[in-house]
Amino acid sequence: MSQLTFEEINTTVLKTLERPTPGYWRIMALLFTGALVLFGTWGYQIVNGLGVAGMNTPVHWGTYLINFVFWVGIAHSGTLISAILFLFRVGWRNPIARAAETMTVFAVMIAGIYPMIHVGRIWVIFYMLPLPNQRFLWPNFQSPLIFDIVAISTYFTVSSLFWFTGMIPDFAIIRDRSEGVRKKIFSALALGWTGKSGQWLNYSRAYLLFASLATPLVISVHSVVSWDFALGVTPGWHTTIFAPYFVAGAIHSGLAMVITLMIPLRKIFGYERIITIGVLESVAKTIVFTGLIVGFAYGTELFIAWYSGNSIEQESFWWRAFGTYAPEYWIMVICNTVIPLLFLIKKIRTHIVALFVISIFVNIGMWMERFVIIIGSVAHDFLPNAWGFFAPTMFEFAIMFGAFCLFFFLFLLFAKHLPSVSMTEMKEHVHHRSHS
Amino acid sequence: MNSAITESPATGRVPLFPIFALLAGAGFLYFIFLAAGSHPEKAWLVFLVNYLLFTGLALGAVLFSTIMHFTGAKWSHSLSGVAESFSFFFPVSFVLFILLFIGQEHLFTWLGEDLYGKEVWLNVPFLFTRNLVGFLVLYGLGIGYLYHSLWFRLDRGGSDTFLKQFLVKRWKTGPTDPEKMKRRMTFLAGWFMFAFCCVLALVGFDLVMSMDPHWYSTLFGAYTFIKAVYSGFGALIILAGFLHLSSAQSFRLSAKQFRDAGALFFGFSLVWGDFFYCQFLVIWYGNIPEETTYIIERTMVQPWSLFAWIIFITCFIMPFILLLSGKLKEFPKFMIVICSLVIGGFWLEHFLLLAPNYLHSVDRFPIGLNEVIITIGFLGLFVVSIIAYFRQFPELLNSEAGEVA
Amino acid sequence: MSAETTSIMGLFESEEEALAAINDIKEQGWQVQEVHSPIPSDKISAALNRKKSKIGWFTLTGGLTGFITGFSVAIFSSTRWNLIVSGKPIVSWFPFFIIAFELTILFAVFGNVIGLLTQVGLPTKQEDTYDPACSGSVYGVLAGSKPEESEKLKDFLQTRGALSSSIRQTT
Repeated sequence: MSQLTFEEINTTVLKTLERPTPGYWRIMALLFTGALVLFGTWGYQIVNGLGVAGMNTPVHWGTYLINFVFWVGIAHSGTLISAILFLFRVGWRNPIARAAETMTVFAVMIAGIYPMIHVGRIWVIFYMLPLPNQRFLWPNFQSPLIFDIVAISTYFTVSSLFWFTGMIPDFAIIRDRSEGVRKKIFSALALGWTGKSGQWLNYSRAYLLFASLATPLVISVHSVVSWDFALGVTPGWHTTIFAPYFVAGAIHSGLAMVITLMIPLRKIFGYERIITIGVLESVAKTIVFTGLIVGFAYGTELFIAWYSGNSIEQESFWWRAFGTYAPEYWIMVICNTVIPLLFLIKKIRTHIVALFVISIFVNIGMWMERFVIIIGSVAHDFLPNAWGFFAPTMFEFAIMFGAFCLFFFLFLLFAKHLPSVSMTEMKEHVHHRSHS
Repeated sequence: MNSAITESPATGRVPLFPIFALLAGAGFLYFIFLAAGSHPEKAWLVFLVNYLLFTGLALGAVLFSTIMHFTGAKWSHSLSGVAESFSFFFPVSFVLFILLFIGQEHLFTWLGEDLYGKEVWLNVPFLFTRNLVGFLVLYGLGIGYLYHSLWFRLDRGGSDTFLKQFLVKRWKTGPTDPEKMKRRMTFLAGWFMFAFCCVLALVGFDLVMSMDPHWYSTLFGAYTFIKAVYSGFGALIILAGFLHLSSAQSFRLSAKQFRDAGALFFGFSLVWGDFFYCQFLVIWYGNIPEETTYIIERTMVQPWSLFAWIIFITCFIMPFILLLSGKLKEFPKFMIVICSLVIGGFWLEHFLLLAPNYLHSVDRFPIGLNEVIITIGFLGLFVVSIIAYFRQFPELLNSEAGEVA
Repeated sequence: MSAETTSIMGLFESEEEALAAINDIKEQGWQVQEVHSPIPSDKISAALNRKKSKIGWFTLTGGLTGFITGFSVAIFSSTRWNLIVSGKPIVSWFPFFIIAFELTILFAVFGNVIGLLTQVGLPTKQEDTYDPACSGSVYGVLAGSKPEESEKLKDFLQTRGALSSSIRQTT
């Protein structure tokens, strides 16, 4: 990487913004259709009611919640990479920061759709906002669900602003090297940036403050999401470890998604010299770390469930491992804690196919974890007479499929039209390496 | 700004080792005197509080070095050298742990109680054994890490203290390949960090949480090791600050290094605050009596609520306000004061968590001269360990010492 | 800026060359009006005596506003109905802290953005003196001199290693 020059960075990234191939448009058409499946199914649900989904007594929170937590989790490691690793001055963040931050913005968008799907009556969703009304009704700010609204909307706003601000110098680069309509668009986006020293001084300070603010935000957002569960008294949910456990799990799943996205991206765009194997290896090592935290949380929860002497708590945890949803439980444990340990072996964590496959397993495992937590507790709580089951319907699967398509659609749209690697930060990285 | 860093107090060579050794001895004798008296549980309570606090400080400080090595950080090389000095407290802490069991009937509130099945976990032999094994593994990994770190730091000539001679003799017959030693050092650092989390979590559950055997909080284990990291980093900054300011030593750190160490300290103050809030919020909100009695007694009933507020202000509010901006972290004198206050706050925090289990009717302020004397004794023991380390390896006080591993 | 100044833009290949040129230009008594660089540089800011950024104050103000707003919104809305919900006090500041915390961050970021836009001066029209190469790998030093001396300045820049120098603007 030390042979990379500023001009090479510019050229490599700008090449990715050239006219898309027909293949690209075909994939985009497919993904767009998939996204339409999401909206179509949602429309069908609005007309026919929430009953088309599988939620019923006793399980009133199903895949909509699972996917909500899943997508918010994925969003978190984007901010980890772009903000937290920036504060720690970790070099391997620079090549992937832009793509990771983009992943965050789009993942939060997808996550934000889910509560809207889940409330059913989307036309009165404004009830959640503190707007004065004739009946003197206000949101209950003591409720974790309202914490969620404040936290997720803050997270979306802050991430979008951070994302855009980070791109301003890159927009200027594109503006300076394009013609016609594209030049006009990027001139507008670049806001007249010319890289003057006064501009850089203030910009760097603003960026540092952004990163410093995004860091506590990231931790608080997924803690708030975890408190949707932990603040109630449901067995398996009411434990104090949920907040750090969810944050660690979120970063775990998000890093896996970063690998899943970066491997095709670097292949298709020819970023091998920028997003090197070393960078992917560093992400893999971090996944080992977060996997150990998640494993520690699993172990501690089991221990305390026994230690508490609370028979209902013990039953809940026993049922998770050996009850109806035992397969999901064991997939969760193996995919999240055992399989990532393979990254301890250098050969595996530097092998592209292995990296990709293991990242998919971690994603599956983390989705299963949300399934086990949400369904596993609600289906089997206090009263044996109230125990039940949950199975997602094909409408829920359609919405889930559509949401994934929407995410990839947005990401590919971004990748082809906006710089998917931060040229400015790469240059800073190269400059720093050659001067230290 | 530079003058504030380079000016140092005009101290001569104060005989620190004998003074602190004397304090340690006096404290120990006083403790025996108290423990033989009419309220042995009070003496053992102070022993446990100090044992947990200082063990946490030592482990947290050494953790700094292992983290810096494992992540390949270069800015902290000399600071890590100072951090490793805390490892000399490990054998002391190990002996103190064994001594704890002399006071078992006063310390373990659940002895003889009906624990409805928990006896299989909460019984003295099992508790003692599992924590003993945990500490053996943890301290073993720490000493092993130290062995490898010193391999890089010490030059083979130079002053010949007892330990240095021993090490050099071993190194002559051992591996000579730096790459191999570095790999082993990284391996040991990684496992030390893992053992740190597991062992301190276990200690938190066994020696603090279970003193009220009917209460539990899943995050308590992690909360314990985060406390150790936060306070341990503070202890490291205090030591580095004193060495930097001392005219008798040549150890100096740059403003940037102090700022970075201070930033880490600040970061962990936020993590600690967050872990505290997570536990409190969930327990408060669920309002389940078997969880809330512990919290109510400690935060809403006098005199313990006073403690809780002092701890909250000292360990969170004060560092937050003072360390939010970058400037103050660069002044060692200032950081020594802040970190000392925070560690004092953590003494109170350990006391707050444990004392209500032993002192059931508190009509006067529960901290008096007894507690202060025994604490000073422990402090003496702690300082004596660190001084002993630097007496064995004086060259580590030269900030340019040794290759970077 | 005096009444008649000609600005000459000299493009340099690296930060070191640009810094050396800046110092030399200042020594010769000419002005260094601006430096356009592809990446931020502390050294260049220092050489141009740029004052520290004021953005932090905007951020702090925003943060404090958010903190107060958060508590206010929550306390106001819960006191309207005045009902005890699930056994919690009507004004329970412990959970309200979360609302205050999130709004602190949100408003601090708004303050940050306002600070960024005002202090950096965006959006703005691109200057005529700007050379697009400066967003690539080149450091553009914009020096100013009296019109009579402009040729001398141009040659001076050439000797300092400028890839090219051109008269960009005459006031």
